[in-house]
Amino acid sequence: MAHPSSQPSGNALSAAFIVLAVPLIGAGFLRQFLLAEDWRLVLGLLALFAVVLVVLERLPALETRIETAFARQSRLALLVGIVVVLGFPFALGGNTYALHLCVISMLYAVLALALNFQLGSANIPNFATGASYGIGAYASALLALNFGVSFWLALPAAAVVATIFGFLLGIPSMRTRDSYLALVTIAFGVVVHQLLNNLEFTGGPNGLVGIPVPELFGHAFSDPLVIFGQSLPPQANFYYLSALLVFISIVFAERLHDSRVGLAWNALRADELAARCQGINVTWYKVLAFAVDAFLAGFAGTIYAFYVGFISPDNFTFLVSVTIMTMVIAGGMDNILGVIVGAFLLTLLPEKLRAFSDYRILFFGVTVILFLMIRPQGLFPQRLRRYGD
Amino acid sequence: MGISSSAPLVLEGENLTMRFGGLVAMAEVAFTLKRGEILGIIGPNGAGKSTLLNIITGIYVPSSGEVRLEGQRLNGVPAHKIVARGIARTFQSSRLFADLSVLDNVVIGRHTHTKAGVFDAIFRRRRAKAELDAAAAHAEDLLKSVSRGLYAQRHRPAGELAQADRRRLEIARALATDPKVLLLDEPSSGMDDADTDALMDDIRAVCAQRPDLALMIIEHDMRLVASLPHRVMVLDYGQKLADGPYEEIRKIPRVQEAYLGRKATQHAGA
Amino acid sequence: MSELFFQQVVNWITLGSIYALIAVGFSLLFGVLNIIHFSHGDVSLLAPFFALSVISALGSVMGQAGSLPVLLLGLAVAIAVTGAVGVLLDLVVIQRFRKAPAMMALVATVALGIVLRELIRHLFPNGSNPHAFPRLVDGDITLAGYSVPLFSLAVVAVSTLSVGALFFMLNNTRLGLHIKAVSQDRDAARLMAISPGRIFRATFFVASAIGAVGGLFFSSYAGMARFDFSIDVGLIGFSAAVVGGLGSMPGAIIGSLMIAGLDTLVQAVVPNGASYRLVFVFLLVICVLVFRPSGLLGRTLVEKV
Repeated sequence: MAHPSSQPSGNALSAAFIVLAVPLIGAGFLRQFLLAEDWRLVLGLLALFAVVLVVLERLPALETRIETAFARQSRLALLVGIVVVLGFPFALGGNTYALHLCVISMLYAVLALALNFQLGSANIPNFATGASYGIGAYASALLALNFGVSFWLALPAAAVVATIFGFLLGIPSMRTRDSYLALVTIAFGVVVHQLLNNLEFTGGPNGLVGIPVPELFGHAFSDPLVIFGQSLPPQANFYYLSALLVFISIVFAERLHDSRVGLAWNALRADELAARCQGINVTWYKVLAFAVDAFLAGFAGTIYAFYVGFISPDNFTFLVSVTIMTMVIAGGMDNILGVIVGAFLLTLLPEKLRAFSDYRILFFGVTVILFLMIRPQGLFPQRLRRYGD
Repeated sequence: MGISSSAPLVLEGENLTMRFGGLVAMAEVAFTLKRGEILGIIGPNGAGKSTLLNIITGIYVPSSGEVRLEGQRLNGVPAHKIVARGIARTFQSSRLFADLSVLDNVVIGRHTHTKAGVFDAIFRRRRAKAELDAAAAHAEDLLKSVSRGLYAQRHRPAGELAQADRRRLEIARALATDPKVLLLDEPSSGMDDADTDALMDDIRAVCAQRPDLALMIIEHDMRLVASLPHRVMVLDYGQKLADGPYEEIRKIPRVQEAYLGRKATQHAGA
Repeated sequence: MSELFFQQVVNWITLGSIYALIAVGFSLLFGVLNIIHFSHGDVSLLAPFFALSVISALGSVMGQAGSLPVLLLGLAVAIAVTGAVGVLLDLVVIQRFRKAPAMMALVATVALGIVLRELIRHLFPNGSNPHAFPRLVDGDITLAGYSVPLFSLAVVAVSTLSVGALFFMLNNTRLGLHIKAVSQDRDAARLMAISPGRIFRATFFVASAIGAVGGLFFSSYAGMARFDFSIDVGLIGFSAAVVGGLGSMPGAIIGSLMIAGLDTLVQAVVPNGASYRLVFVFLLVICVLVFRPSGLLGRTLVEKV
């Protein structure tokens, strides 16, 4: 990575090297971070991360070079990415807590990507992603508990239910904007939470317990996962499942961002009236953003419910929505990589800095305010699109 | 260059009245626009010029009266569908998508000529991408034809452009919708004489390439009004004061008093 | 009129008055700043904690003997300090978002509310637990054969006085005229030698102080101060302002009475209504917004193009 950036960037070999090195370094960094016990080490790693970010920002040529390398070698990049993600659990040395944190981080990454469609692409402040997450979790859990529906069927079913609610939530957006719309989403979140908390069939404040463990081809997800004679803790099952969901979410996010739909969202973010005057049906695209958000959040909710085995209304409060929003804002609105980094960082930090975990909510609040005041574009600012390559 | 009197009507307005609460912003205004014609609209601030544009583009629904595009009634048609039918516009205070690239701005103008939805974008990526790449190619051609200088800046964020280039981009973005009628709201506002001249040349070139395109231009700059439009309509207090070739309307005393004169005194005072 | 029904009406008016004290602040701030100060509810509900601190500090010095003066002094200090906190938040955070997109100010003030709540939880001794808060006025009075709590009368009287004073201030004083000028056209006001910054600070102080009165009454009504009261009360106050139409003071009052009415009605009529009250309240909010997007008395804004 220390190549001088004045070199011609057409060199396929150096591109391949970059594509190989960056994910490995990233994974190595994440491993150290996950396994770090001492808070000083955690802070040190954090400082290192900050230095890398600053260097990348100061040297736009280096950044462009890395970017072009990934664009050129996109197949190789995909392959390296898959190998790194598949191999990562083996590098954690059977540390179940680290694996657990990975699973949670990845679920939050999916939620942050979901919210990014609205907050990032279309600038719609939706404070109800946590509610959609909860609707997904409850829908699948209820299907499994009451009708014996298997996880694999409950997963898409719950996503559909969440999407329907997303559409419903989107309907007021046809008439309301900005603060008014934000209030509608907050109100929706509170209504969902209160209903879950009070209705009989959702188990009230105690929630739902005994959600069955998913199975795949006779392999229960509560059993250790044996691959190539190597045994991984049971959490690895869910690690791979969530990784797959993250992958799908990234594909969704990328394809939508680079499509006519993503452009329309960006247009209405910049200037709603001008967007209408280019022929964009602003209302429809807003509702669509709500639906896509709820769809992905529904998936994440299902995996969470089956992973943890019990859910209660308090897993899906307004604060969860704010947490997801913090991840999107800190990571970088409308930047897929940024949003994922934001999700990992903000999930892991409070866990790794134990003394600090009591102040987790305070930390999220302060983070949002500071980012909005000092660096509203987030850690990774949005990028201009490219065509034809 | 005159406009043939046999050219068919593209756009017409009849008895257009717009009330906001008790305020009458426009009363009984009628207008016509022929294919290939350039119609200038002048009048003091608050005369209802922008209101007229907003009515035509569906941002306001007129309290009474009717707008017809090629004989089809537009009242109540939502703004985004009016664009698809062939009316595009620019804004007085250029409203670009500032954080998107110049090229993206024009590609968004192709929205009504592309179709890919969420499903296509995700599951039929090849098709969606081909469609968008074609739109981008079209947009590049359009940028080239409107202004070389703008084309050279196509990968910059639109917000970084200079004032004159913003206007050009807005025009290019509007043209990307393949309009039959293009409405320009004070294209020269905030620009000096040299920039205005260059813009006028660009607008002429655009019209020369598209002989069928009808234009409506709201303007304050008298040099532009005197030379560009075939015909000028004067609005004052929401009413039509005059309608005819510039050489004729400038002789009407009430027009001089209502607009030209006032403008002249403003100049004298400034 | 049955005794029970009458009690419910008294309850409704009392609650409505408390909500109105908070809602007018939301509306006033929106009218002047054109942004939502989402944490206004959280600021307002800081007041009971300030009051408790003062009362316990003074109480240990002066003992039981000075209980009434201590209480009054505590309330006064709480109102003033809360007003100052509002100004401080503007200086430190909110003023940075004057020119930013509405969404940013909104998200920032939502976060600000969370920060305030968490600060109480962590900094106030035993902040996570409820703290008993004194009933400010005790006893009942018999009116036309019904017994009315003096507390309710006090709430209604003080609310009417405060909101009336606010109206008077806005319509008849120099400051009020300046506030109106700034809210209508910031730049024109600047040309008239009115400093918008000063007006913003004055508005923050007034709105936060009136909110503080509402916060003190709410804690007194509930008999305790809790760090998380502001979630419900703040949201309800904001909702009331939105339902009435942001920027409209009479709207804020009508909205408060509507929401308090629904709140009381649900608790009285629906089985297990206490748990469902927020569901009904927010469904009302959503319905009003869907059918009247700028609230009942809000100006329908025609966007200038």
